[in-house]
Amino acid sequence: MTTDIARMRNIGISAHIDSGKTTLTERVLFYCKKIHKIHEVKGKDGVGATMDSMDLERERGITIASATTNVEWADHSVNIIDTPGHVDFTIEVERSLRVLDSAILVLCSVGGVQSQTITVDRQLRRYNVPFIAFVNKLDRVGANPYKVRDQIAEKLGRNAVLMQIPIGLESALEGLVDLVAMKALYFDGPDGETIRIEDIPAGMAEEAARRREELLDAASMHSDELMEAVLEGRPTEALIRSAVREATIARRLVPVFMGSAYRNKGIQPLLDAVVDYLPNPSEVENRAVDLDGGGAENVLTSDPAAKTVALAFKLEDGPYGQLTYIRIYQGSLRKGDELVNSRSGQKIKVGRLVRMHADAMSEITEAGPGDIVALFGVECASGDTFCHPSLNMAMTAIYVPEPVISLAIEPVDKNAADRMAKALNRFTKEDPTFRTHVDPESNQTIIQGMGELHLDVYVERMKREYRAEVKTGMPQVAYREAISQTVDFDYTHKKQTGGSGQYARVIGRFEPLAKGAYEFSNEVKGGRIPREFIPSCDKGFRAVMRKGPLIGFPVVGIRAVVSDGQYHAVDSSDIAFQTAAQGAFRQVYMKAKPQILEPVMKVSVEGPTEFAGNVFATISQRRGTIVSSVEDGQFSRVDAEVPLAEMFGYSTVLRSLTQGKAEFTMEFLKYGRVPPHVAEMLTEQHLEKQRKESQR
Amino acid sequence: MTLTVKEELIKRSPLRILEKSISGGLGRGSIGVLASRKGVGKTACLVHIAADKLLQGKHVIHVSYASRVDHIITWYEDIFKEIAKKPKMRAALDGFDELIRHRVIMNFKQDGTKTEQVLRSLEAMIVHANFRAETVIVDGLDFAQAGPEDLAQFKDFAGRLGLELWFSASLKGEEPLFDASGIPNELKAYLGVIDVLISLQHHGDHVHFNLVQDHGRLAPKDMRLKLDPTTLLIAKDVRTRAR
Repeated sequence: MTTDIARMRNIGISAHIDSGKTTLTERVLFYCKKIHKIHEVKGKDGVGATMDSMDLERERGITIASATTNVEWADHSVNIIDTPGHVDFTIEVERSLRVLDSAILVLCSVGGVQSQTITVDRQLRRYNVPFIAFVNKLDRVGANPYKVRDQIAEKLGRNAVLMQIPIGLESALEGLVDLVAMKALYFDGPDGETIRIEDIPAGMAEEAARRREELLDAASMHSDELMEAVLEGRPTEALIRSAVREATIARRLVPVFMGSAYRNKGIQPLLDAVVDYLPNPSEVENRAVDLDGGGAENVLTSDPAAKTVALAFKLEDGPYGQLTYIRIYQGSLRKGDELVNSRSGQKIKVGRLVRMHADAMSEITEAGPGDIVALFGVECASGDTFCHPSLNMAMTAIYVPEPVISLAIEPVDKNAADRMAKALNRFTKEDPTFRTHVDPESNQTIIQGMGELHLDVYVERMKREYRAEVKTGMPQVAYREAISQTVDFDYTHKKQTGGSGQYARVIGRFEPLAKGAYEFSNEVKGGRIPREFIPSCDKGFRAVMRKGPLIGFPVVGIRAVVSDGQYHAVDSSDIAFQTAAQGAFRQVYMKAKPQILEPVMKVSVEGPTEFAGNVFATISQRRGTIVSSVEDGQFSRVDAEVPLAEMFGYSTVLRSLTQGKAEFTMEFLKYGRVPPHVAEMLTEQHLEKQRKESQR
Repeated sequence: MTLTVKEELIKRSPLRILEKSISGGLGRGSIGVLASRKGVGKTACLVHIAADKLLQGKHVIHVSYASRVDHIITWYEDIFKEIAKKPKMRAALDGFDELIRHRVIMNFKQDGTKTEQVLRSLEAMIVHANFRAETVIVDGLDFAQAGPEDLAQFKDFAGRLGLELWFSASLKGEEPLFDASGIPNELKAYLGVIDVLISLQHHGDHVHFNLVQDHGRLAPKDMRLKLDPTTLLIAKDVRTRAR
């Protein structure tokens, strides 16, 4: 049976690491009666929170892969994706945001807006996702939800408005005041499952009234109807709710809720808020590119009878076989339906269709627009679009960053080698930022990803899930080479001694390219190079640029222009022109003043102010540039740009320097030129490596 | 000898006029203050002074008590964009990314941050992080809250580390803001610590610069500079002298 789309919500739970979102999700599942007992993250009971289905996540106390689950609340069907908080896994966050209609942004009532919150906020912006905020951990020492609201306004530039205020704080946290109903809420029973509604405590009436004024001011900015009602002095609850709902969905307002997931306070009102203020799938506009219509974008309709368009956003190798998580954007999905994968053109038949709970599932026969379900036994990659056989549409591609770090891995024995291959095949399908290839020279398997921890986790998963034991080398930064000035070439490739000869001459130039990796341009006039050999030149350039002469990394930011040349009626061939192109590049490359580029990371370090000086020093020792430092009383944040090559082992250094009180996050920012002394060192290392290889 | 475009830009900068009128520049160990009511353009002037130093390849620390970091970054981008609009200057600013690496923004919350703490962090930046700044911009310090003792601490610090410090001072009192010799009434208690004091005043439709104190000498004079209202750059005031 399909659910009425107005009673459907697809939400993500996004947050800074350690702000307690897994605990929150756990409570949500409990109150929605999906689980019957609450387990804690890093739980003493040895079971672990239900959403962390992977052993590894249990052990590390962090959530890596997003498990999706479906719950029922107040007659609504809510699909929840528990998104990972660590920057190394942001591809998972980005993918969930693409698939979801709205989100809960969880913040810590002590830490407030932290670097990761800013990253998540940027992602929410990129995908136009409306959200509500939940200020968690009100029971912690130093909790201050008012400060957090101010930070959402100041640091994120969001129009944040309190929907509740706390009754007591820290260990004295008793309950919440609902500023719409103007009632006090208390959470009774061993697991806070019984809500007791009372009058607002006398001492808080004034504060509550004042905060409600603020709420009415903010909400009535976006609703004339409410504005009038407020002026007449009779705003109804229903009117306030509908005004807040509209403004939230239009992303003009961020309603702020609060509580303590750990102490079982404030979760049920948050669930009510999901239903009251977040959009159903039909209230969000989704677009797909029509591959037959010259790339025109079509707005999809949430009509269950329309032709199906769905996106496979996650693959998982579960205990029951291969699962493909899929979000339906248009039309319906029924058992037995035939669909086409618009990337591969492959047809699939919908077999088993299930709705997912963290580790369990329920079989269904059909699902409607907006729903998130899982399919069994479908061969595809994440990001593939499935549509009705008469359509050829692709959901706009999810932004995938290039990997910045690589690691050589070697299986310990033959058995491990087979299992490793299987694991790598799976991981690369699941995660587009994780890549693998075999280096033709060293014959080693290389894995590539977004950071040290990212690769660590996959090496661990190989061991645990696939029993593939591997040895790892030193992490290697993905350098690039680029020319810095235009250079002309004129190269003749000639081999006319015995047998069939080879002859090709290419004339042209290489230019630095400000944007993009490589461009090829043909300016040959009058058939000086026959048309069939032009692609050969392009092919030759591409091949030779895969390994730059300087340090053996790809050459990027270059435009190859062929303007003239010569051929021989008999001896010219595809291969001759390819070879000439490669020769031309090798001959003039050094004249184009090549430079080495390295990935530069955006690094944010947060911690107590007393360590700010130490942090400055660690950044400067690592060839970093400090962009800014912000000191807010006891708390400080340093934003910097640091080359990835210098960041290995930084977490250990930072931990020992600050007694574990500071933490940092990093993400890829740009490719930057390496300074001359580093370039020299890298070139020497490369030469050394080549010498050794030639001696073997 | 021919000058490069950048050298030309530095040489022709209206800031040379400013330096000339304050005996060749603020100088190490000195405190300069730009005083005016809120919203007259102090921040713009400070950012222009900083941008001029950056163009000369010098390091600048921008201390802010108020604005968000991203707002300050935008200020600099805008100022450099305006400078680049002048003929031939685009090429000179190709190295903008490189120049901007010589600027650090340090943001403090005024409430609860003591001057000692600010100076400690500044020293850490200059000494521990080896950031060789000569000029420090201090925008948004509340003089009424900080008091002359705090400014004296800044001055000691400037002397010890060989820095020049440019402050903005927001005047909030009732009219008249200035006494007969052009001294802002609110800053009288600070005059002993301030080396150079410049007031910015609306004069008809534009803002002009009035030198109040120059390295200890009370020497009121019109500096023949104005703040261009469209570019928000300091510019030469080409009016024929009033009256």
